[in-house]
Amino acid sequence: MSNLWDLRHLQPRHDIVVPGDTVHEMFWNAVQARGEKTFMREKVLGIWRAWSWNRTADAVREMTMGLVALGFESGECASILSNTVVDWVLSDLAIMSGGGVSNGIYPTDAASQVLYLCEDSATRVLFVEDEEQLDKALEVRARLPLLRKIVVFDMEGLSHFADPMVLSLSRLQALGRAYDAEHPGEFERRRTSRGPDDLAILIYTSGTTGRPKGAMHSHRGLVYVTRGYNTLIAQVEGDERMCFLPLCHVAERLGGEFFAIYTGAILNFVENPDTVPENVREIAPTAFTAVPRVWEKFYSAVTIAVAEAGRAQQLLYRWALGVGQRVADRVLAEQPVPAALKLEFTLARWLALNNVRKLIGIHRARLLVTGAAPISPDLVRWYLALGVPMLEVWGQTESGGASTGMLASRIKPGSIGPACAFNEVKVDGATSELLIRGPNVFMGYLNQPEKTAETIDAEGWLHTGDVGAVDEDGYFRITDRMRDIIITAGGKNITPSEIENELKFSPYITDAVVIGDKRAYLTVLIMIDQENVEKYAQDNDVPFSNYASLTRARQVLDLIQGEVDRTNKKFARVEQIKSFRLIETQLTAEDEELTPTMKLKRSLVQKKYAPLIESMYR
Amino acid sequence: MSEDAILTLTNVESAYGPIRAIRGVSLRVRPGEIATVLGSNGAGKSTILKTISGILDPRKGTVVFHGEDITAQDPAHIVQRGLSHVPEGREVFPLLSVRDNLMMGAYTRRDRDEVARDLELVFGYFPILKERNHQDAGLLSGGQQQMLAISRAIMAAPQLILLDEPSLGLSPLLTHEIFQIVVRINRERGTTLLLVEQNANMALNVADYGYVLENGRIVMEDTCERLREKEDIREFYLGMKEVGARGERRWKKKKTWR
Repeated sequence: MSNLWDLRHLQPRHDIVVPGDTVHEMFWNAVQARGEKTFMREKVLGIWRAWSWNRTADAVREMTMGLVALGFESGECASILSNTVVDWVLSDLAIMSGGGVSNGIYPTDAASQVLYLCEDSATRVLFVEDEEQLDKALEVRARLPLLRKIVVFDMEGLSHFADPMVLSLSRLQALGRAYDAEHPGEFERRRTSRGPDDLAILIYTSGTTGRPKGAMHSHRGLVYVTRGYNTLIAQVEGDERMCFLPLCHVAERLGGEFFAIYTGAILNFVENPDTVPENVREIAPTAFTAVPRVWEKFYSAVTIAVAEAGRAQQLLYRWALGVGQRVADRVLAEQPVPAALKLEFTLARWLALNNVRKLIGIHRARLLVTGAAPISPDLVRWYLALGVPMLEVWGQTESGGASTGMLASRIKPGSIGPACAFNEVKVDGATSELLIRGPNVFMGYLNQPEKTAETIDAEGWLHTGDVGAVDEDGYFRITDRMRDIIITAGGKNITPSEIENELKFSPYITDAVVIGDKRAYLTVLIMIDQENVEKYAQDNDVPFSNYASLTRARQVLDLIQGEVDRTNKKFARVEQIKSFRLIETQLTAEDEELTPTMKLKRSLVQKKYAPLIESMYR
Repeated sequence: MSEDAILTLTNVESAYGPIRAIRGVSLRVRPGEIATVLGSNGAGKSTILKTISGILDPRKGTVVFHGEDITAQDPAHIVQRGLSHVPEGREVFPLLSVRDNLMMGAYTRRDRDEVARDLELVFGYFPILKERNHQDAGLLSGGQQQMLAISRAIMAAPQLILLDEPSLGLSPLLTHEIFQIVVRINRERGTTLLLVEQNANMALNVADYGYVLENGRIVMEDTCERLREKEDIREFYLGMKEVGARGERRWKKKKTWR
């Protein structure tokens, strides 16, 4: 367990841990080196089961040859439509080992989106998780002339289903075994059929505006950035990681899967998206990467638990957190922590903070990494006060994930850290946009050369769309997304994300969209945290029946008004929120308003809730 | 909020020991209507009725009947105020005759003429009870016992009847028959009814207003006419679903309750 004043265990590593110039060669070399050690873990019938490197290798080889047996050619694309499961990783590695291009599709996507993504990527083989995902594929396959086969991971409920186009994963593996036996040397030929400069994977950007764009990454870029991550903070063999974010997303694909292949960290798959908190407690990861939404959820769970605790426990928690904050303040100010304070902190940990860490499941965590969305600096400070280093990284799909990262030796909450050693980052003089250059920058958008030209300029700089600044130490700060910046009717420039993050820090607010472009004042649309607001209503005798009536209850509106007022105090006069509305529909990942990482899509929300927004300006 | 309602529940929470069966239920029943609470096994439907009739004391919340707070009052008092409960599983007195069972329902009433008139009324609804007048209630069939339990409730001359799963264990034909009479009681006597049912199809056809209860919380409320059209109700309560491209579907959609 870590203490903030001694972060020597967070060291970069610059040598090459596992060689290999393509992602799959890196994997095959890792298998050679690690053999019977554990690579992945999944829960089967309630028990955690391990996948050794050897077992994984056998399955991947069978699947690779299975694809070859199905006529899958080098350079063709196969897509994976599934939640984050072991089979996802196996398929990904098999596609690449077979010389193919691997593309992930969000399991929450509707059939029409599956159609678009398969069409755009020219998918020949589609891996689907189960019956539910299969139905989407079957619905649209008539319009996908290039699609040859659909492979199903989980055949439950499909034992009586027969279709010439559909086969199970175990059938694919059997085909592969037979083909392999008849064609010696073919596997090695296929494995080496693609070079570092060839296209390896597609990552479709969730696209808050317009159609999704398929970002193309070469093996060279992916291997380069994966090795690069280790020069930020090294992950070690045996590190326990959770694997639970969508694997279609760059964060889990590179930061989770590829980085684990490279470093030998163990990937622990959650049972399903609803069991994340339980699974985290069971595994107690030692290195933990998540998005702000997850960190907010943990924080509000603790806040609510404390609110329910007895008076003595509340006082103890507050005192312990206060001690933690004093330690964090000193560490952040680069001052030594006096021995007396260290002793006090040890006591605080023993009496309260260790239990808080255990409640979340981060009691073994060497470090926490946050990224993929802006996070409130206060939230980072809270984790630091618990004594766990939380380091923010910033990057995007097009740069292969992290391009800047906080250094453990000098943490500045509110900043995204300096540029990673493996790429250049600068602020554009004219527009203040952040630009990235390096071998990790992507090859371009599939089928959209004009969009690619808009994104990568003649000098090779990737235009990120984020606006920010850099301080004298080389630490960057993001103010906002370029297109999100609000210019009020009075001509004031306002960065909504700062205000939104402050609002989201409230346990009662899940997400918020600040509005005010070309308007006289600012307003906000708020998505409440159902669980916590329901609990509040229950504790305070607020009558409600369904979700909509909860969002209309006077007391709930008052509660949110209180949170808005609290936020307003922290901002200047022009940045005051004058009015707010709650979104009355309970949104799920399947809804178009939310990105797969459960963030509100600003432009879509503004369009969809236009009448509600207008009502705040009347 | 409650001026036009005959029964109002506000934030009612009830528990069996450490197990919270209902977690904050607010609902209203308007005079003269048939209201229904739908929900699967263990959703907390019967607990709501028990909490209203005073058999179970809630941990939190209030029950207001006719403007009077009857939360956690003595069940006998609540019956006298005009609220009768037909429990799940009928609970007739097996060793008493049909007639005595009915008279037990009228136990708190003084006006004999009116009691006699109501006796004729229930015999009018359920002629079979008149035929079996002197038989022990324990010897009646399940359907007849259900008729008796409903009649016994009417004998207390209630303004509101709580009806807990009248279709339990009955044949479809008998269920249909009983529901027809339930509607008649409502229309002819003007008795307000709060009906709890697993047979959603039946309940949605006879009731005016419905609540959907899941895990002790109300997730949806609307007129039954509109509830019948909701996608989640159609799929999860009425068993109608699109079969998709394969002609069959095992996986369940996520409930969104919109």
